[in-house]
Amino acid sequence: MNESENNFESLRRLLALKRHEIPPPGYFNNFSGQVVSRIRAGETAETREIAGLSWLLKFLQVFEAKPAFAGAFACSLCLLLLLGILYAEGPDGTPKATFLAALTQPAVSLADATSPVLSPAPAQQGLMVSTNPVFSLEPDAALFGQQNSLVQLQSSLVQPVSLPGN
Amino acid sequence: MAEPAARQDSESPAPVDEEELVRRARRGDLGAYDDLVRRYQERIYATIYHMTSNHEDANDLAQESFIKAFQALKSFKGGSSFYTWLYRIAVNKTINFLKQRKNRTHMSLNDLDFNAEHDPDLMALISDKTPRREAGLTELQEKLNAAMLKLSEPHRLVVALHDVQGLSHDEIAKIMDCNIGTVRSRLFYARQQLQGFLSDYLGPT
Repeated sequence: MNESENNFESLRRLLALKRHEIPPPGYFNNFSGQVVSRIRAGETAETREIAGLSWLLKFLQVFEAKPAFAGAFACSLCLLLLLGILYAEGPDGTPKATFLAALTQPAVSLADATSPVLSPAPAQQGLMVSTNPVFSLEPDAALFGQQNSLVQLQSSLVQPVSLPGN
Repeated sequence: MAEPAARQDSESPAPVDEEELVRRARRGDLGAYDDLVRRYQERIYATIYHMTSNHEDANDLAQESFIKAFQALKSFKGGSSFYTWLYRIAVNKTINFLKQRKNRTHMSLNDLDFNAEHDPDLMALISDKTPRREAGLTELQEKLNAAMLKLSEPHRLVVALHDVQGLSHDEIAKIMDCNIGTVRSRLFYARQQLQGFLSDYLGPT
């Protein structure tokens, strides 16, 4: 035991060498100043960050306080997304409002699709029949309708001219 | 058993003054906190340095410890002294850093001061080993730090706080949040380990 203590004593004398290890001269003169300036810089950055995100933080705090608001917010987002999909414009620039109409009258459209014999008109007109029974844009009718109205307009505006030589 | 050597830096400040400084710093008074940093900067730096054996790491960790302490001042209830609380922050930060770094150790040792060459204990230790005293001191310093780094963090901490910095077992127990018996056993085991690592420099038994 005594021997061990003596050994520890010489070890402790050796460890005393570490007390003589000192940082570069003047190191501690600026140390506290650096700490304080880093604290100040951190506070400034934090203030800016908080100011920029304050509205978001308040918003999230409301969710934390009342989870029902979070559910309501999620539902409204889903509803908006659904409406956005339904009212999105198709590739030809026409709104798919007919989709809504078709949804409200599914039985009629379904009947048309399942019994093509009952509605032979498109085949007779030589048009491509869509495999989707819901959509029935009837482009011909609309075009002809437009043409007919144009012809009527032209005939009402154009008066017959009677030349004196004839 | 010999008492640990006296502390390196100036004597402890009056507790009343410290309490007042802590109170003011808690209210955001950076001037007061600057005073507190000046009081403990040497001790905190030294503890971290003796744990890492790297000046740059010790500098960064010491600064971060003081910054973290300032940010956490509102949670300081005064159950322990500010000094013990600050030490805990620095020690935890250093141990976390060392665990992240694992075994990738890189020593960046500070120079020895002028007094090292005139320390009779050290001279007695070296003169038997090497005829070139200056080279012997530097070599000894490197071997000693390398041996310290071989210890686990808790064992290294106990040696650094007790045998190098001169803190009492009681103070170390408060800092490490353990009982005095644990501190003593850790110190004994750490010394045994160091003795094995440094047997070439400690002379025949």
